[in-house]
Amino acid sequence: MGKEGFTPMCPRCAHESISKLAGSPVAGAWEVLQCQRCLYTWRTTEPDRRTKRDSYPEAFKMTQADIDNAPEVPAIPALRGRG
Amino acid sequence: MAYDDLRSYLEELGEQQQLLHVDEQVDPEPDLAAAANAAARLGENAPALYFDNVTGFTNARIALNAHGSWANHAVAMGLPTATSTKEQVEEFIRRWENFPVTPERRQDPPWSENVLEGEDVNLFDVLPLFRLNDGDGGFYLDKAAVVSRDPDEPDNFDKQNVGTYRLEVKGTDKLGMQPVPMHDIALHLGKAEQSDEDLPVAIALGNDPMISIVAGTPLGYDQSEYEMAGALRGTPAPIATAPLTGFDVPWGSEVVLEGVIEGRKREIEGPFGEFTGHYSGGRNMTVVRIDRISHRTDPIFESLYLGMPWTEIDYLIGPATCVPLHQQLRAEFPEVQAVNAMYTHGLLAIVSTKKRYGGFARAVGLRTMTTPHGLGYCKMVIVVDEDVDPFNLPQVMWALSSKVNAANDLVNLPNMSVLELDPGSQPPGISNKLVIDATTPVSPDNRGHYSQPVTDLPETGAWVEKLQNLMHGRS
Ligand SMILES: [Zn+2]
Repeated sequence: MGKEGFTPMCPRCAHESISKLAGSPVAGAWEVLQCQRCLYTWRTTEPDRRTKRDSYPEAFKMTQADIDNAPEVPAIPALRGRG
Repeated sequence: MAYDDLRSYLEELGEQQQLLHVDEQVDPEPDLAAAANAAARLGENAPALYFDNVTGFTNARIALNAHGSWANHAVAMGLPTATSTKEQVEEFIRRWENFPVTPERRQDPPWSENVLEGEDVNLFDVLPLFRLNDGDGGFYLDKAAVVSRDPDEPDNFDKQNVGTYRLEVKGTDKLGMQPVPMHDIALHLGKAEQSDEDLPVAIALGNDPMISIVAGTPLGYDQSEYEMAGALRGTPAPIATAPLTGFDVPWGSEVVLEGVIEGRKREIEGPFGEFTGHYSGGRNMTVVRIDRISHRTDPIFESLYLGMPWTEIDYLIGPATCVPLHQQLRAEFPEVQAVNAMYTHGLLAIVSTKKRYGGFARAVGLRTMTTPHGLGYCKMVIVVDEDVDPFNLPQVMWALSSKVNAANDLVNLPNMSVLELDPGSQPPGISNKLVIDATTPVSPDNRGHYSQPVTDLPETGAWVEKLQNLMHGRS
């Protein structure tokens, strides 16, 4: 994904595996990118506070531990007849 | 008048000067959400917004704030735009009494014109998706009608559910879905997952305004949203059969997605700025796989901005929350006069009631909490006398300030259920609940000094009319 000299990085969790979800119907206007760890999704033309790691608000940053410890909603029930 | 689709509703909003067409070029972010956020700050007569010139898109048509004012809600109900909130709720109650109205099944829905299946399924090709709030984890579908059936009774029309649940677009054919445990779809999903099965769903986007209202109305488990839409529209709701699932979906939708909630699977979702005026944190939520997209040619994408109240969602679900609580309470307690549960989807409710005897009012307050909606909401219920209008907040404040003695008028219940999005709940989903009895004590609850109330003079009603006539230059 990254252009030369640019390491793509998730603004939210700093993961470096980023994939392209969509491109603009008008060629070259923007791309929609997605982090492959936290699934944060953004458009390349959004403000820095949503697209740049160093401008991303602390309150919304996410870590692998946050993902691992996120509550299950709703909880997965026991299998019928086996639980 | 009844609208069969979103387009005819938008046309009528335009006729009533309640639709603003923004034809200048705007960016998908932050313009679209900021404009809808701004519309919510324009007050009770704010217009709906329509955009068709969005950077990078060639064919985007986006409607926002369609229900986002009392004037718009009135147009959705087919009432004059100046109809007061209280009158809109009263009309809602009158029409509710006509439930059920059997829907009308129609052929050739306009959304059957275009179909994407298999490898061709791509949500980004059909929908001009965009972010709402800064901290949102992605782009959301937040005004869709999600249709599911009870896996144990797949042919039971009444147990088919139509509800609005937030959907995060997480892939070209993948959504994250939040089924609140208190909602019917969570019961459907629970049954499917206990049997290690997927739960089929149909997701209708861009609907006539009454479908959006009933999809956010807490009906009983075996009450059909389509039969309620018919009652509220005053004419049968037009429905059609979704081709993949066989489920009943609105005939007039712009786009219909079909697929399954993948059984026993959870994946990171969110956060999302919610109706509570707070973000939900990131949670591991259910995953929807889309297998088929049906859509109109040049579909209109309808979305809803929500954030710090009030925003569109409060108008959309306000009356729709008051009325089922009113009806369910009245079924057992005809003394109940009115219910205002418009605050944060009924996390707070105000109920006016006559009293049978001392202690009765707080029983009404407790019953409010055990209605289907109350189980997940109604964290605070303020009960007021029958002569206090719950929609008149200065009157409610008068009742609170003059009728309440904290020594005995607060009923504080520990560890009750509430939806886990309630930011005050601890642990999430558990909260104390509070009844505030702001009614006048009656025998044998002989507390306080309430024997000499000041009431309006007997002649005041006639003078109100007289003064109004004089003000309007009539004699
Ligand atoms: Zn990430």
